[in-house]
Amino acid sequence: MCKSENIYLPNLATIEAIVDETPDVRTLRLVFQDEQVRENFSFRAGQFAEYSSFGFGESTFCIASAPTRKGYIECCFRSVGRVTESLRRLEVGDTVGVRGPYGNSFPIEDFYGKSLVFIAGGIALPPLRTVIWNCLDLRDKFKDITIVYGARSEADLVYKHELKEWQERDDVRLVKCVDPGGAGPDFDGKVGFVPTVLEEAAPSAENTIALVCGPPIMIKFTLPVLERLGFTDDNIYTTLENRMKCGVGKCGRCNVGNVYVCKDGPVFTARQVKAMSQEF
Amino acid sequence: MPQIITEQNLRNLIDLLVKEAKLVVGPKLSGSVVLYEPLTAGSDLTLDALPRRSSKELFFPICEDILSYKRENGSMKVTDVDRSQFPEAVLIGAPPCDAGSPAILDAVMSWDYKDEFYLERRRKSTIVGIACTKGDDACFCRAVGLAPDAEAGSDLFLTPLKDGSYACKAVTEKGEALVAAHRNLFAEGAGGDPVPFVDQGVGKLDLVKIKKWLEEHFEDPLWEKIADICVGCGACAFICPACHCFDINDEGSTDDGVRRKHWDACGFAKFTNHASGHNPRDVQNKRYRNRIMHKFKYYDGKFGKTLCTGCGRCIRACPVGIDIAEILETINSKQD
Repeated sequence: MCKSENIYLPNLATIEAIVDETPDVRTLRLVFQDEQVRENFSFRAGQFAEYSSFGFGESTFCIASAPTRKGYIECCFRSVGRVTESLRRLEVGDTVGVRGPYGNSFPIEDFYGKSLVFIAGGIALPPLRTVIWNCLDLRDKFKDITIVYGARSEADLVYKHELKEWQERDDVRLVKCVDPGGAGPDFDGKVGFVPTVLEEAAPSAENTIALVCGPPIMIKFTLPVLERLGFTDDNIYTTLENRMKCGVGKCGRCNVGNVYVCKDGPVFTARQVKAMSQEF
Repeated sequence: MPQIITEQNLRNLIDLLVKEAKLVVGPKLSGSVVLYEPLTAGSDLTLDALPRRSSKELFFPICEDILSYKRENGSMKVTDVDRSQFPEAVLIGAPPCDAGSPAILDAVMSWDYKDEFYLERRRKSTIVGIACTKGDDACFCRAVGLAPDAEAGSDLFLTPLKDGSYACKAVTEKGEALVAAHRNLFAEGAGGDPVPFVDQGVGKLDLVKIKKWLEEHFEDPLWEKIADICVGCGACAFICPACHCFDINDEGSTDDGVRRKHWDACGFAKFTNHASGHNPRDVQNKRYRNRIMHKFKYYDGKFGKTLCTGCGRCIRACPVGIDIAEILETINSKQD
């Protein structure tokens, strides 16, 4: 196998664990089968990979686990199409293909000494979860850490076990919310849309970086809130979740104007996003 | 020193190249249409018409295997494609609008990550371009900086002469090597009068001005006016020498099969559809706008090249009569 030459050749990984986050969102913990790959594989928070289910093809997801956790990677996906539904049919011990890591990443070193506010909606928590754990594993390098996470309903909240863990830590402030009508009788979070809940939580913008990930509509309404709270466009980071296929700037699918999201992104500052043609 | 080759010797050259076990591809009558197809003899070559599809597929096939996978004794095994088996190839008789396309596609296929499927075929190919004397009203190569006698992309360039022979110019070392290896088929000399080119409907356009207008008019009524009629059939992309969008899919069972890269088109409705159901290009005019923007703004911004050779195939093939040259002329004539 001439790995260096065929950019489309995946590494093989074994599914080590499966967690059902919601009725249709699943996390796979993957361990590379080749010992050398397992030892040498490294990535940065924010990068993505192409995951393949043999017989069906490839899908693009961020690497949802933290680069500080070695020996495995995790991906988290909702079953919406042919490839993701076939990935969902796989069991512990089955093989998947993994190409990557691809794309740019969050410049975590630049965030040292600052406070962080993570804002996520629905299944957009995984691209921030990698950063959250990365930063929590280096906790003393950051000041306050706030996480505002919301979903349509209680059932749609992903990583429930980790939300609980973050809630119980005294070095993290978690603000959990669901849309109106989405809370059960025992829900211990807030009821409201993410931008509103964020505004109520009012994290300080001073020496703070905001990281936002969510559906386009959530991002659209969150950016003005951040602006009102005093965040500048250079201190707000997001990821563009464009449809991708090759992952390496060839197939022409993920372009937003001159920008190849798979190569130039997926991580951008609000300033960079605002400079793009509004086609995402 | 300029060289001349007679038409008979050009056909003899093809015979020799086929005997040398090279893949020789050129315009050939296939049923009722002319297509770029493997030539088995010099007599197969026809230079009477522009082939229906471009020659891009010699380097970038419509569909190609990029790996195979097989479960053996319970373990999945992935096998790379042996690209050393790709044939030495000669593309012969490609007019500048086709000969010029690999020179444009090299940029996207080789930046950062290298697409060795495309690049290996490029390394193993020699392009014998030919000055175009068969243009029609749909041709607009001059508009995009090429010309019927443009050598860009050709390794050896032929100019048809009125006496039926061809003036030859080795443009690259590959072209020189081809002549040197078959020197007895070529004669030294400048040759006689060239066959005149056919005037094109569209002349040279100001691509810098067009690019600037595109930059400033992402939202413009023009897009709805010209592009709402697009039916998203993808014909324009599939016959284009420069379009390079592709998809990757598996064919086979979960235990045994191949993974394939195959052409795709940004005009297709679900090309950019997100898993969430959100589609950034949710209506056809946005998709057509992307086609124009990609060819005349985005690719230029990224790689400094126009992603169009002016072959006019998309104009001839469009089922609803969208004329990309007319659109460029419209933009070029705008004063703001």
